[in-house]
Amino acid sequence: MEFLKYISKRILQTIPLLIIVSVISFFIIRLAPIDPLAELRLNPSISQETLDKEVKRLRLDKPIYIQYVYWAKSFVKGDLGYTSAGEKVSTKLKERIPNTLLLTIIVIFMTWIVGIPLGIFAAIKKETAWDRILTVISSIGMAIPSFFFAILMLMFAVKTGWFPVGGLTSYNFNEMSFGSKLLDLAKHLILPVIVLFTISLSGLQRQMRANMLEVLDSDYIKFARAKGLSEFKVIFKHALRNAINPMITLLGFEFAGLLSGAALTEYVFQYPGLGRLILEAVMKSDINLVMASLMMGTIMLILGNLIADILLMITDPRIRGGVDGRISGGAKNGNN
Amino acid sequence: MKKFWGIVLIFLFLGIFLKACIRADIPENCRVKSSVSAEEKTVYPKSPKNVTINGTDYLQSQAPNGIFGGELVISTIGEGPKTFNPCNTKDATSSTMAGLLYDGLVTTNPVTGNVEPLLAKSFEIKENDYIIHLRQGIKWTDGNPITADDVLYTYNEIVFKGLGNPSTMDAMMVEGKLPSLEKIDDYTVKFTTPKPFAPFLRQLSYQIVPKHYFKPYSDRGASVFDAFLNPNTKPETIVSSGAFKLKEYVAAQRVVFERNPNYYKINLENKQLPYLDKLVYLIVGDTNNEILKFEAKEIDALSLKGDNVARYKEKENRSDYKVYNLGADTGTMFLVINLNNRKDKNGKYYVNPGKQRWFRNKDFRSAIDWAIDRKSMVQNIAFGVAEPLYTAESLNSIYLNKNIKGHPADRQKSLEILKNAGFNYKDGILYDNDGHKVEFDLYTNAGNLEREAMGVMIKQDLEELGMKVNFKPIEFNSLVNKITKTNDWDAVILAFTGSPFEPHDGINVWNSMGPLHLFNMRRTNGNEQANYTVYNDDRLTWEKELDEIFEQGALKLTFEERKPIYDRYQEIIAEENPIIYLYSPIRITAIRKKFGNIFPTPLSGLLYNLDEIYIRK
Repeated sequence: MEFLKYISKRILQTIPLLIIVSVISFFIIRLAPIDPLAELRLNPSISQETLDKEVKRLRLDKPIYIQYVYWAKSFVKGDLGYTSAGEKVSTKLKERIPNTLLLTIIVIFMTWIVGIPLGIFAAIKKETAWDRILTVISSIGMAIPSFFFAILMLMFAVKTGWFPVGGLTSYNFNEMSFGSKLLDLAKHLILPVIVLFTISLSGLQRQMRANMLEVLDSDYIKFARAKGLSEFKVIFKHALRNAINPMITLLGFEFAGLLSGAALTEYVFQYPGLGRLILEAVMKSDINLVMASLMMGTIMLILGNLIADILLMITDPRIRGGVDGRISGGAKNGNN
Repeated sequence: MKKFWGIVLIFLFLGIFLKACIRADIPENCRVKSSVSAEEKTVYPKSPKNVTINGTDYLQSQAPNGIFGGELVISTIGEGPKTFNPCNTKDATSSTMAGLLYDGLVTTNPVTGNVEPLLAKSFEIKENDYIIHLRQGIKWTDGNPITADDVLYTYNEIVFKGLGNPSTMDAMMVEGKLPSLEKIDDYTVKFTTPKPFAPFLRQLSYQIVPKHYFKPYSDRGASVFDAFLNPNTKPETIVSSGAFKLKEYVAAQRVVFERNPNYYKINLENKQLPYLDKLVYLIVGDTNNEILKFEAKEIDALSLKGDNVARYKEKENRSDYKVYNLGADTGTMFLVINLNNRKDKNGKYYVNPGKQRWFRNKDFRSAIDWAIDRKSMVQNIAFGVAEPLYTAESLNSIYLNKNIKGHPADRQKSLEILKNAGFNYKDGILYDNDGHKVEFDLYTNAGNLEREAMGVMIKQDLEELGMKVNFKPIEFNSLVNKITKTNDWDAVILAFTGSPFEPHDGINVWNSMGPLHLFNMRRTNGNEQANYTVYNDDRLTWEKELDEIFEQGALKLTFEERKPIYDRYQEIIAEENPIIYLYSPIRITAIRKKFGNIFPTPLSGLLYNLDEIYIRK
């Protein structure tokens, strides 16, 4: 019961947050000196009448707060409005969401499957050659900018011809058999997955290693060892359970990152995901599209935190007593 | 020791990737222009003929026979099409795609630029009457016949009502009146313009749409019509007339077209075109990705820019593609000077009155024109892949005034002109006759490297005359805002795309009340300046003459009558220099050698005859 009360309270708290986020972002976007019609204005074949019609359609003739009220009204009704090119925002998002989910889920899944064990391994083998090699690799992964790594990979694809140059499917995808469809998808996904995987793996691996080391250094582990427990039991039964807790908060952020996509990597690989769509929308000040994605990002972040907190309650008996006192912290952003 | 191996590991790792990026085959210095322009002469096929078989009036292509089958994969940069509705396109990609689906009554001969029938079988012009005979027996993709009713519907209910993109309606308007249209029989219609209006014939290339498919949507008003035929429309439901019909649209990835079996164009063996089974447009984000896709053989054609030309030309002989030089394109880079001498609502001058005296002085502008070194711009900025430009019409325009030869940069001459105009050059600084230093701002849009480089070169050229030029690249939207709304600028570097066939299209720029009359903007958005000239005609003498020219030019119907009129307008611009033209890029395109019936033309480019292109065995 307390559990449900807690969840509903958290959900109610999001409403003022959403309002504040939407007001701030709406005004920032609209106050920026970007005119969505700039290109049309400089096109000699576009008449003044067309321009006037567009201004009316996009409500650019109205003051910003009225534009905001219009937007908020339809947002509450579940209508995300139209892009500046006149397409439905919801359709545009729907086109891209599965693609982004495909990429991010694979990456998150792989990072966690590989990153957590590697972190534990590095902590156990602290200051051995293995730990050093892992340190070098993760330093490279952390230091290399994603777009640069993506470009390197793309050149690798061009030179060897082993992989397609960006995109998600080949142009004759629809005529393929199911098996070759899967193969085609895999071929297109490998390079972006490698880039995102390498970059997020390093962080996760380092984080896990640090947590594990901290726990291994604590008194109760020393005590467990002194008691004569086998090393296996010490690590997996006692140390791991405590070291994993901070990672669960991280997992919540990963959830928030599911839909925000990786704009730069997507852009370089011409991946038809949300990140690329929104990057292009921001550059054109396509307000409805940008607002929809910001709102989506905010909601996902809140949901992610909520999920993390619930998971923590399950894994950590210490929190179960005083749920309200817990605030999930951390400043990791879903984007890169 | 361990550290050492760690470092070795890093180098190995980097080495593997860097190896992939090193190119051994970039030529150090390659004379681009000489190597590209030495092309063999293309022999163009004759214009298509009308052939009637079993009561159907086909259009017979005169290009050599090809082989049926295969596909052509090309690319489009940006976000892909926003609509397939030809009446509602506002961007180039959408226009191209909708243009594949729907044909107009007439078209332009890609070689000569003459108007030729397309969906129309023939046309007759009698003064203000345009009688159009349609083809009998030709069909939409769904099997319904294409008749006069479709033409009537397209013009009366879409174009003349301004549904979708109303630009064509505005362009057809002569003194506030639209042409009228009447049906003579099922396959004949007659347009009547209120006055003789030369651009009208070419405007008939507006795509004809099927009444039975469009009417249910156009009847429901503008907002329904604007959303009609959006990219997510089910391809099999689209009724069209062009050589290709839509097969598939995948957001941000590709648009696939397949051959239209009902297409009305046939080859010399009377077999229905097009040759290709499929036409694929890959949607790519930027030119770099496009280049990579061409290198990886994912696309078959690539338009080349600047520094890439040399590399591709060099590798051409050892490759499976051929590089074509299509000549200067319709893009014109220019420097525009603000001649505005009006005040805004608050009584403040848009342009500082001191600067106005320079900018409105013909000699001052002429000195700038003489000082700018276009040739070195072409060499240094465009890597030689451009032509210096001295005229308002683009270099491939059929109305180009060939008597305007241009001139080399000449600093001495510039200084002389300035001296005679009362300016004073002393110790590297230019003063006007009141002793003020000549200093002004030069804007362009930040991020466009080409224009930024042009700005730097212009600044250098003008500083040699002692002018102080503050070059400020600003964000594109702010720049447009300055030009079209606030008017608070001195000089701007921009580029426009013109039409090689119809100088009247420039009326928005040259008419003194035009919305793009950049150098002396009277019609500012949301500003009462729009009514300014009603009570106070402040046009400059040559602005008046330009207004007159554009009015007269539209009234004369033959090329021979119109040519001298538009020659004069180019002379005026070259003399008065409100806009100083800099250069036009040359279009260079590479396409795989396996494609046949490639007839590149300066007017239409390379891939204008998609229905005739085939794959050689």
